[in-house]
Amino acid sequence: MDFSLSEERKMLQETIARFFENNYNDIKKRTEYLNMNDGFSKKFWKESSNLGVISGLISPSFGGLGGSGEDISIIFELIGKSLCIEPFLSSGLLSSTILSSIKNPKTELINKIIDGDLLVSFAHMEMNNRYEDHFVESKAFFENENWKLNGCKSFVINGDSADKVIISARIEGEINDKNGIGLFLVDNNQINNRSYNTIDGYRAAELNFNNLNAELLCKDDLALECIIKANSAGALALSAEAVGIMQVCFDLTLDYLKTRKQFGKSIGAFQSIQHRMVDMMLEIEQVRSAVMLASSTFETNSSTRDKNISAAKNLVGRVGKLIAEESIQLHGGIAMTWEYSVAHYAKRLIMIDHLMGDADYHRDRFKLISST
Amino acid sequence: MNFEYSEKEEKFRTEVRDWLKDTLPKYLSEKVKKHQRLTKEDYELFMNNLSKKGWIAWHWPEEYGGTGWNAIEKHIFEEEIVKASAPRIVPFGVNMLGPVLIEFGSEEQKAYYLPRILNNEDWWAQGYSEPGAGSDLASLKTTAIDKGDHYLVNGQKTWTTLGHHADKIFCLVKTDINVKPQLGISFLLIDMDSPGVEVKPIITLDGEHEVNEVWFTDVKVPKKNLVGKENEGWTYAKYLLTFERTGIAGVPNSKSALNHLKMVSRKSMKNGKPLIDDPMFSSEIAELEIDLLAMEIFNLRTVSAAAEGKAPGMESSLLKIKGTLVRQKTTELLRKALGPQALPYLPEQFDEGWNEMPIGPEYAGPIAKQYFNMRKISIYGGSNEIQKNIVAKASFGL
Ligand SMILES: Cc1cc2nc3c(=O)[nH]c(=O)nc-3n(C[C@H](O)[C@H](O)[C@H](O)COP(=O)(O)OP(=O)(O)OC[C@H]3O[C@@H](n4cnc5c(N)ncnc54)[C@H](O)[C@@H]3O)c2cc1C
Repeated sequence: MDFSLSEERKMLQETIARFFENNYNDIKKRTEYLNMNDGFSKKFWKESSNLGVISGLISPSFGGLGGSGEDISIIFELIGKSLCIEPFLSSGLLSSTILSSIKNPKTELINKIIDGDLLVSFAHMEMNNRYEDHFVESKAFFENENWKLNGCKSFVINGDSADKVIISARIEGEINDKNGIGLFLVDNNQINNRSYNTIDGYRAAELNFNNLNAELLCKDDLALECIIKANSAGALALSAEAVGIMQVCFDLTLDYLKTRKQFGKSIGAFQSIQHRMVDMMLEIEQVRSAVMLASSTFETNSSTRDKNISAAKNLVGRVGKLIAEESIQLHGGIAMTWEYSVAHYAKRLIMIDHLMGDADYHRDRFKLISST
Repeated sequence: MNFEYSEKEEKFRTEVRDWLKDTLPKYLSEKVKKHQRLTKEDYELFMNNLSKKGWIAWHWPEEYGGTGWNAIEKHIFEEEIVKASAPRIVPFGVNMLGPVLIEFGSEEQKAYYLPRILNNEDWWAQGYSEPGAGSDLASLKTTAIDKGDHYLVNGQKTWTTLGHHADKIFCLVKTDINVKPQLGISFLLIDMDSPGVEVKPIITLDGEHEVNEVWFTDVKVPKKNLVGKENEGWTYAKYLLTFERTGIAGVPNSKSALNHLKMVSRKSMKNGKPLIDDPMFSSEIAELEIDLLAMEIFNLRTVSAAAEGKAPGMESSLLKIKGTLVRQKTTELLRKALGPQALPYLPEQFDEGWNEMPIGPEYAGPIAKQYFNMRKISIYGGSNEIQKNIVAKASFGL
């Protein structure tokens, strides 16, 4: 076993870290980016591309420079540290995962994603289908030599600004059949979307479509496999993002405990507070370890991959709650303000548990995989 | 022992319920249910109704305009107003300052201020915390210098809840800086429209304006606005805090949140079935309900003892801790029950008259926001850590 990063990866990490620090150094900037037309900064997105951040998420077989579990984790941990809201998850990871996993990979589109010139969102979730990979209600049908889609997709991250959208839709079967699902590529300008901000400061949209012309990417087993793979990649990325966020929450809290004085001493001097910081610290190390394991098995056969990712995401849900709540509590009133960054980190950390499966979902999935 | 409500108590419950049905406008309970932003007038409407009915000061002694209800009746009253989705009774005048004036105020102050509180003529704010004085309240720095017939007040208060609506503020100020902090504090009543008072909003993590900074620059305050004796304000301040604590436990609020949680869990789907059928999730709800069941009795034991003249000392601290944790847990499970439906956040949804389609079910909108907002209850009213310090110090003999 070897727990250290290669020299190359360390360099990647340092370069990206510096770049994020220079562009995302305060919470006002994040709000400013969110309030832009696209719900993020296009300029920052393009610069990220130039620096190789997007290509770091994509395998060399498809024109990227990374794409391993470790690469994804390194990049998303840094995204977490800066609370960066650009479409790394939606376009950079989820969509490119699908576009590269189909029978005839869409390398040309992937290259445009890498260059920051094309945004593709992945629209799988529906209003009442919670976190399931195979629950799909939207319908697909073949008519006059063309695929058409009917239905609604919910909580589509960057669903308003995307140029294209990958939509999961049911070709046949019941809402919860594992078989009969197709993945389709569509132009977003044909879709009626309603966009909004999420509570943790991302832009998302509800998509409504009726007889929408679509291109079939894959169906049945391969489609389900692609959805699971994308959701697993997403869960890994979010877990790594959470590690970055937890570390920032911990550091901000510790700093504050050292400087804030009550009763004539720094509040960090109270032993009951120190014990809680130790609890936070050790739980963060647990999460970090689980995420390292999950990233090291990301490219292996899918049951090991998914078991370890579920372990990581379950811990992220449980520990994330602890870290978010304790960071606020130990700060006191100041953490309740919009002005101070810790609240925004805490909100994102909590809401990560509402994406790509929460702690309960991944506990159940872990149980299922372990018992077979 | 008998844990059943008596016939008389049930009758009382019906009376309160009917009165609420008759007097609380539908638009207002709808706003409260939907967690829409309440205006000053919204709060005042309900409080004026209570005032007219003679119920606004439900825990004051009867001779000052209280209701003469026993502990159980008070509990029923508090429960019914939450159930009816009435706005909360703004506590600063009636629940905090009132008891202090009754206990420590001069005859003149009682004669002037208490009727005004009973008639809702003044909106009071609580000026305790300062940027440098939170848990260590006694380290406050706002000064009041004796200028003969008035004090000259300088300094800054912070976290002042609804201070932007306030006509008056009760403040802890320093009248002697040369003694141990606790010995130099006075309790002063200040008009918000005095020259030199400035209110600045603080926006909280959920994007709302609920708290404020209040600045004092050379504010002249007449001597007659001093409550009790100069430099003895700390005693009054602590007396007030025991009243503040008891309210925060919020048993009725948790009970109604629990019902809401059950409703949401019946509507939310997991794996094609209602979430409430999920054995793990329904176990979490059951445990929450068990906590709450016990806490309701704990709460009643405490308030009954207090009614018999035993001061609500340490128990009010225990209740504050447990009450806030339980209440926060209800908001956590609600958030969890929603799954991804917790993500959308439409600030305009909380404006009166908003009539667009919500994203997802209508009940989803406020839930994540509420979860984050409720982090405050373990921080204010004396943080839960401070409550633990109080209990440990008062009861272990260590
Ligand atoms: C939404 C909101 C509304 C409020 N409304 C009002 C209001 O209307 N009027 C008013 O006067 N105040 C109000 N407050 C202020 C509130 O009372 C204070 O926030 C509270 O007393 C804590 O002080 P602090 O925020 O300065 O935290 P600090 O005192 O700095 O505490 C930070 C952390 O350290 C812990 N800590 C401190 N000392 C100890 C110790 N000795 N041992 C162990 N742990 C310790 C605390 O528990 C907390 O976790 C409000 C606060 C909030 C958040």
